[in-house]
Amino acid sequence: MQILQKIVKNAPRSDFTRVQFKRPHLPSLCLGCRLLCSASDHTAPPRRNRSVSPELSLPSLLDMGFTELQAEQLYDCVSRVKGANAATHVLSTLSALFVLGLNPASVHKLLDRCPELCAVKEAQLQQRINHLRKLGLVEGSLQRTVVHYPQILTVPVKSIKTVVQFLREKCLFTTQQVTEILRDSPAVVLEDLAQLEYKFQYVYFRMGVKQAEMVKCRLFRSTVDEVRCRHTFLERRGLYQTPDKKGQTTIINPKLDSVLNLDRETFVADVAQATAEEYDVFQKLLAREWKEEELERGNIEADSDDDDDDSEDEEEDEEEEEEETRGKSGYKKKRKNK
Amino acid sequence: MFHRRLLCPIRRRVVLRKTQPNENVRAEPFCGGCGRKVGRKTLLHGVMALFLETSRVLVRSVKDLRPLTAKRHRVKGKWAATLPKHPPTRLALQHFDATYGAQLGPLWPSVRVALLSERKYGALFNNFSHNPHLEELVAQGCRDFISDGAAEASSQPDSECGAEPDSSGVSTATAGVGSQQQPPPRLSPNIKCFVFPRGDVTRFKPARPDKFGLLTYYLMDAASVLPCLALDVQKSHTVLDLCAAPGGKSLALLQTQSVRFLCVNDSSASRTSRLKRVLHSYVPKELLTDDQLRVTSLDGTMWGEVERNSFDRVLVDVPCTTDRHSLMEDDNNIFSRSRVGERRSLPQLQVELLLAGILAACPGGEIVYSTCTLSLNQNLGVVEQAIQLAEENHGIQLQVVSLQPLVQMFANTFHFAPDLHLGEMVIPHLAANFGPIYLCKLRRVT
Repeated sequence: MQILQKIVKNAPRSDFTRVQFKRPHLPSLCLGCRLLCSASDHTAPPRRNRSVSPELSLPSLLDMGFTELQAEQLYDCVSRVKGANAATHVLSTLSALFVLGLNPASVHKLLDRCPELCAVKEAQLQQRINHLRKLGLVEGSLQRTVVHYPQILTVPVKSIKTVVQFLREKCLFTTQQVTEILRDSPAVVLEDLAQLEYKFQYVYFRMGVKQAEMVKCRLFRSTVDEVRCRHTFLERRGLYQTPDKKGQTTIINPKLDSVLNLDRETFVADVAQATAEEYDVFQKLLAREWKEEELERGNIEADSDDDDDDSEDEEEDEEEEEEETRGKSGYKKKRKNK
Repeated sequence: MFHRRLLCPIRRRVVLRKTQPNENVRAEPFCGGCGRKVGRKTLLHGVMALFLETSRVLVRSVKDLRPLTAKRHRVKGKWAATLPKHPPTRLALQHFDATYGAQLGPLWPSVRVALLSERKYGALFNNFSHNPHLEELVAQGCRDFISDGAAEASSQPDSECGAEPDSSGVSTATAGVGSQQQPPPRLSPNIKCFVFPRGDVTRFKPARPDKFGLLTYYLMDAASVLPCLALDVQKSHTVLDLCAAPGGKSLALLQTQSVRFLCVNDSSASRTSRLKRVLHSYVPKELLTDDQLRVTSLDGTMWGEVERNSFDRVLVDVPCTTDRHSLMEDDNNIFSRSRVGERRSLPQLQVELLLAGILAACPGGEIVYSTCTLSLNQNLGVVEQAIQLAEENHGIQLQVVSLQPLVQMFANTFHFAPDLHLGEMVIPHLAANFGPIYLCKLRRVT
């Protein structure tokens, strides 16, 4: 136990995988478990009191392997967690995280990013972790995802299932692609489904990009507005064409990667062949256009007294077709054809 | 599959229409009145509502009085139930991609995105309004670009190669001028036009009337003021505006307060009445008397036969393909399939109008030709042809007056097309989204 402790302490901070390899057949043996299992027959921890109700205190945190600074910060953030059993909660959270194979530094980083995680019950945490495993996030990527986006563990399994179902059934991503999306862009689980759908449809229909490329270029890391702004800029400059029904264009469209994943300066200069000034002004104009479109759409819905579900989507589609040639002619001219 | 009785909007008769198996049999997807998509339970407003699903309309409580209004009092919306397959705006864009892509080369993408985005307006200041609150305009951040340009031109001493030739694509001084700096241009006086700074997309609020009911400013494309400035109206000149509607340029000419007699004409009577309304909203009645202003709706091409050698200054702002409007509005769009003949014959009409303007000017008088299109054959082509015809058919010699001084003065406000061998052109750019405007100035030597 002490040897294990030493190994873990001396391991490099971010290398939790190595720790994992060293104890392949002891999944439940972890640094924190001595705090939980009072009845277990593990060797008694040398400096710990065998209290049945574990305490969360600075020394105990230090024992777990946190540095003093980390322990203090953790203690602070934990004390903000409400509830009578806050301490127990936190301990169980910590233990679950250690079981996952994260080292203290990662755990600290994680809880720093997402203190709400402490409020999640351990059973739920375990359930969610198992669910993610089932979805294909195997060891290594699971830990990486959790450390970089701890919020994913605050989302109930049902919500994740909804998102996954949406991606598979509505957007026709393969299971493998869905796993990749979860791994690269875990924030999708917290994104509004309508926005997600709009983003997908925009890229699929308007930009003519298929699922494989979307996944490769990590589309879901970008916001709808970013995608739309960059694409519309290219489109209005004549550098991007929506493919016709046969999938053909008269020019070669820039790849999704060069549209989304280049930084702003490179995108504007190389892909759009424009100046930064032009793009700045364009962003302002486009933001205003969108805001007014939304208002108009809101007014149209209010007028029509509509309860037809697909009317809204189709209105958007109609507008999409027109967007290339439509902007604002005067300041406020009514859309004649709507 | 079954049938339902419908009033066909195109044939204006009740027809039987078969429904397809999956079709939504409850209602037309689009309202025949306004063209919007509506749902099943929506009370369709407009004319069509009365004829579709009549029984359901009667049973429901009436929300809209329109079905009860007598037909002759109802406003007729669009009859078409679906959008056109090839909207004129799309046809226009394809046409421009083909022509201007070649003509402007690497500049075309910037022009294209500017044309497809919201245009920038300028506020033509009304010198006749009382208490126009100039400070308010300035406080919002906009500036009179004309006085700014004039200040800059006069502050630069002559022989410094002051002007940066390539900053905004301005072509440097034409051959034959010794120093780099142009002499200051002769411009019509007293015109003020406020614009927001470069890159600023703030919109102007609509103008408010002063205590006498005159509006304080007129919103128009700031580049449209350039032909009026170039005309160089001097004290007690007689001026003819051959294609004046809707009246922005005529208004600018009146702002100079130098015109002894202004003749304003447009071939369309309805547009002329709009023009009259504009003038009356801005200019006090005392200045619009018959001995100072004449408004006519005659065919401009005939002017040469009616009045020759009469005017000191003539402005010929011809009808053109109005590039910006053609890309944004489907209504009244010259690129619609029904107007192909009209569009193809535009250059000929433009030549005739310019020729009429030349004939109407007196010897020594000046004519400014302007359009709002980038097309070479509506711009340079027309001017060249008119010059030639004036010489051949009427023995009139014309001299082209260089507008380079004007270009240099306003190079910081507008983007001018480089390397135009005849006339000057303002091209749209996102940071200065004015134009397109082409202008060319001629002087009658004989």
